Amino acid sequence: MGRIQHLHEDRLFDCYLAERNREAPDPRIAEHLADCEPCVARYTELVALMDELRADADEATSAVFTPERLRAQQQHIERRIEHLGHAARVISFPRPAGGAGERHEAPPHSIGRFVAAAAAAGLFIGVALGASFGWQWRLWPSSGSSASAPSLSSPRPSLGTPMVARETAPPPDVADDAFWSEFELMLDRPATRELQPFDALTPRARDFVLASYR
Amino acid sequence: MAEARGRFTELVATHQRRASRIAYQYLRDVAEADEAVQDAFVKVFTHISSYRETWPFEVWFTRILINGCLDRRKARARRDRWFVSGEASNADGMQGLADSRSPGNPEQRLLARERRVRLAAAVDRLDGRQRTIFMLCHFGDCTPREVSAMTGLNESTVRVHLFRAAHKLRALLGGKP
Repeated sequence: MGRIQHLHEDRLFDCYLAERNREAPDPRIAEHLADCEPCVARYTELVALMDELRADADEATSAVFTPERLRAQQQHIERRIEHLGHAARVISFPRPAGGAGERHEAPPHSIGRFVAAAAAAGLFIGVALGASFGWQWRLWPSSGSSASAPSLSSPRPSLGTPMVARETAPPPDVADDAFWSEFELMLDRPATRELQPFDALTPRARDFVLASYR
Repeated sequence: MAEARGRFTELVATHQRRASRIAYQYLRDVAEADEAVQDAFVKVFTHISSYRETWPFEVWFTRILINGCLDRRKARARRDRWFVSGEASNADGMQGLADSRSPGNPEQRLLARERRVRLAAAVDRLDGRQRTIFMLCHFGDCTPREVSAMTGLNESTVRVHLFRAAHKLRALLGGKP
């Protein structure tokens, strides 16, 4: 009457694992299973379920991973391992912690000095040229003589040509008037405040026109 | 070097089938399982110096393989969040291929297919740790002690997870819980 208590599920499962791993099961469980039919039935059911799962996995894997596929897989692995030996060549950067003799870049102080000197020289030349041109441009309209400024004689024909044409040709039509009025308006109006000093330095087309009339 | 490669080829031949079975059960996608197995073997080759002989080679190798499979599952989950998954159709296609090669009449093949789908769905419904342990023990032929070494879990904890996984599978498949 004392042996009515059946084995618990986890005991049955332990027994299954032991059997599968070819280990000796717990002797008490083995003894119980030898005598108890309900427990044997439960154990058989458990083993059947596990075997079914296992057989299913085997079947599915065998159907998918055929011997050809496994061979191909093996070849892929071999190829990948071969490629490991031929790694891509990497160009190394110069070592930052190397000796002073290994460093090829120019010292930063000399570059800075050179850049500063070049910028200063460029600024000086620019200012000087700008000042001299400004002086000549200011002088030229007041002198009233085109011969005194031969270098600036070339723009005159281009700007004066329409006026010359106006003298010889018949009076300009409406389109010409509109063009000139628009042109004058544009020249009279500095676009932005920052450009106003430049605008003051720039000779006006109107001055050329007036000069040519005189 | 050539000798090492020759020996490694033998090693691949020995473990490849079992590795493919584990990876396929884990990923349920042939191409991904194939790649996971390849990656695992290449990693073994490159990191062979870090192998310690405290545990059998299978334990070390399976751990690498399972980690790779877990990474792939995570990547797939991230991908599936944004894209419509084509895996169901792919799995069906592979299942169809498997069925066409298996013996028996069409009715038997259909029944076998249904059974496989049901079993696979039941295994997929296990939670992460239970599934891993169950797969390693049941499909990877690992003992609870080896799984303990792979996962870092206590051996008795592995046994408990394994038992719970089997219990749940039994319930899901219509047997007595």
